[in-house]
Amino acid sequence: MVLLQIAEPGAAPEHTAERKLALGIDLGTTNSLVAYVENGAVVVLRDEEGSACLPSVVHYGAEGVLVGKPAEALALAAPKDTIASAKRYLGRDEAEMGETDYVDLEAGRLAFVTSQGSVTPVEVAAALLQALRERAEAAVSLPISGVVITVPAYFDDAQRLATRQAAELSGLNVLRLLNEPTSAAIAYGLDSREEGVIAVYDLGGGTFDISILRLERGVFEVLATGGDSALGGDDFDKQLVALLTEEGGLGKLDPSQARQLLQKARAAKEALTDANEVTVALDSVVPGTASVTVSRELFNERCAPLVERSLDACRQCLADAGVAGVDQVVLVGGSTRMPIISKVVGEVFGRKPLDSIDPDQVVAMGAARQADLLVGNRDAEDLLLLDVIPLSLGVETYGGLVERIVPRNTTIPVARAQEFTTARDGQTGLVVHVVQGEREQVGDCRSLATFELNGIPPMVAGAARIEVTFRVDADGLLEVAAREATTNAVAHVVVKPAFGLDDDEIAAMLRAGYEHAADDMRARQLTEARVEAEQLIAGIESALAADGDLLDEKERHQLQAAMTQLGAAAEGADIERLREAIEVTGEASATLAARRMDRSIKDALGGVAVAALAGDSEL
Amino acid sequence: MPVAAEGFPTVARDYFELFQLPVEFDLDLDDLAGRFRVLQRKFHPDRFASQGIGERRAAAQLSADINSGYRVLCDPVARAGFMLERVGCDLKALEREPVDGGFLMRQIELREALRAPGSSAAEPRAQAVAEAKALMEAALAGFRAAIGEDDLTAAGGFYVQLLYLKKLNAEVAVTSEPV
Repeated sequence: MVLLQIAEPGAAPEHTAERKLALGIDLGTTNSLVAYVENGAVVVLRDEEGSACLPSVVHYGAEGVLVGKPAEALALAAPKDTIASAKRYLGRDEAEMGETDYVDLEAGRLAFVTSQGSVTPVEVAAALLQALRERAEAAVSLPISGVVITVPAYFDDAQRLATRQAAELSGLNVLRLLNEPTSAAIAYGLDSREEGVIAVYDLGGGTFDISILRLERGVFEVLATGGDSALGGDDFDKQLVALLTEEGGLGKLDPSQARQLLQKARAAKEALTDANEVTVALDSVVPGTASVTVSRELFNERCAPLVERSLDACRQCLADAGVAGVDQVVLVGGSTRMPIISKVVGEVFGRKPLDSIDPDQVVAMGAARQADLLVGNRDAEDLLLLDVIPLSLGVETYGGLVERIVPRNTTIPVARAQEFTTARDGQTGLVVHVVQGEREQVGDCRSLATFELNGIPPMVAGAARIEVTFRVDADGLLEVAAREATTNAVAHVVVKPAFGLDDDEIAAMLRAGYEHAADDMRARQLTEARVEAEQLIAGIESALAADGDLLDEKERHQLQAAMTQLGAAAEGADIERLREAIEVTGEASATLAARRMDRSIKDALGGVAVAALAGDSEL
Repeated sequence: MPVAAEGFPTVARDYFELFQLPVEFDLDLDDLAGRFRVLQRKFHPDRFASQGIGERRAAAQLSADINSGYRVLCDPVARAGFMLERVGCDLKALEREPVDGGFLMRQIELREALRAPGSSAAEPRAQAVAEAKALMEAALAGFRAAIGEDDLTAAGGFYVQLLYLKKLNAEVAVTSEPV
């Protein structure tokens, strides 16, 4: 169905006619997928063999880098060069991961030692994204405007940032990081169009998420989210590996044998979805070993503590959401195919779980919907998503205690300020330690960043007034600023984990990428930046024409000057200068944009009864 | 090492104006939820994802204000605090004012009744729950009347009571949860 496209008043009208391509990417622990929307329907892209899932495995061998199935095929032959489940390591440091034989401790951060040298989890994720990007480019002729990448709802700031960095490395423009359960709920919500409370139980390869959402009048509101970022199908595999090791009397295995056993265990787990028992031949792993028969009952028994851990999170999430019950339960993630999961989840929520959409594909499908919407395609579904921050944010205060500033399950975006003061007379500096987590002791929370605020004038203890502002954007990413009220000393940080990649490293990696891809990548980026500059100037000019009275003489003059600079930069070929000018001009136009929005608040709420207004937009 | 400071910045945005509501203590929560959805549908950063940096920045701030405003206006105690703040009251200073000794004593007794071991089914607990609720209703009514008459001193007094009673009622919820 083709609808006439009518631009909304006040929205940028210039570019509504052309259809933009935006991708939804499910960057999974075990498998990754990519989807997009065409003629109102979601298309999940497949490889030449017709498979939608790209195994999240990258092989860094002496002869080159392989991604997906060919990499997976080398997992047994070259376990050290073949990185699987890299998502588990994203945004983590070695201390959190425990001992692993393939981790490069000398690099000073978590990295895998391969024949291609030391490889960080961010680079592995970037290689996967690159492969998905190529799959999309081969299938669709349009240029990719942007992508929505899904992350577990329980991902903390460092893990989200690492995901964004991976996208940056693979040259993708991230429109939004979207929580996986929310993405699944979008896919189901748009499918069924039923309003009410939905619980999404998402058990993936390496992470577990539970989210409770409400869909009402086209607004999807996440009420609460929880989970366990270290619980997934892999843990069920491990239980089965342990069981097979015991029953088969296997001793210490070498890495190749261990991988082989793991593959056997995984196959057995999948077989137990339909069969009541399965016999596993172990002779090929360790010659002379007898076969072991595992019943579903025994498997369920061994996995009961894992299942119980997920149910505890469900109960907590229900309490946090403040709802008595749910109208629908959705299962997401390949691991929910285990019959025990469907059974116990149904019992906890008192509803038979929905599984009409393929649990492997549902997340990518929801992400594709959201990407289509964000890129501004006018015929996209009119749906708004309000997500929450999964873990509380706070700062360290006296005695190693955490002062919570943004509690978990607060709707984002959010800006919250809290005042602090000095503890000693004459204190001129202050260290702000930002942490994320629910525990009261700093040591039990995740440390996100530490920064210093200096130049506080010497005063008696308790006289200085330091305001710390936390801003969490719609991606769940944090920005912290601190300001001393009497002197205006300012410290401003975008939170970056010490063990992630810094901007210089990303820039260096990108440069290395350019060298391989000759100059055309750079040329393309320059063209893109010029188009962006043009659109920015056109947008500001039309805003000034409509509401120029909202700025005073000085403000208007400053904005005009920035635009002139930008125009000049767009003439040149210096891409860094152009990007900087876009940034500066964009910043300068924020005041005008904010005042225009304030002016339109009255229009949004005025006149018509609000209840009717909210209902109208469904038409 | 930071220490929680005295005083708090004055309100950055008038949430009543943001939601285009009259400045009154009583409000219709369904209507408020409707206004919240209308505003977020229009101003959420997702609506500006493909526009310029200026619009995206402005939308992020406005959307954050809408979220904060909704949270504050939904909760009667936070709403009461906001109504005082927007006319210039210093809430932190208010919280330091001495509280009526009889009121405090009763709070402690009620809390003990709620926490007593094995109290979940006992009669004294049921009474304490009922009293906690009744005290809350009374303080809300007191605040409503006082703020309606612009009696900020009295309204401030009720507000402080509300803070205690909110904690007490939270205790009711926690202690009644089945284990």
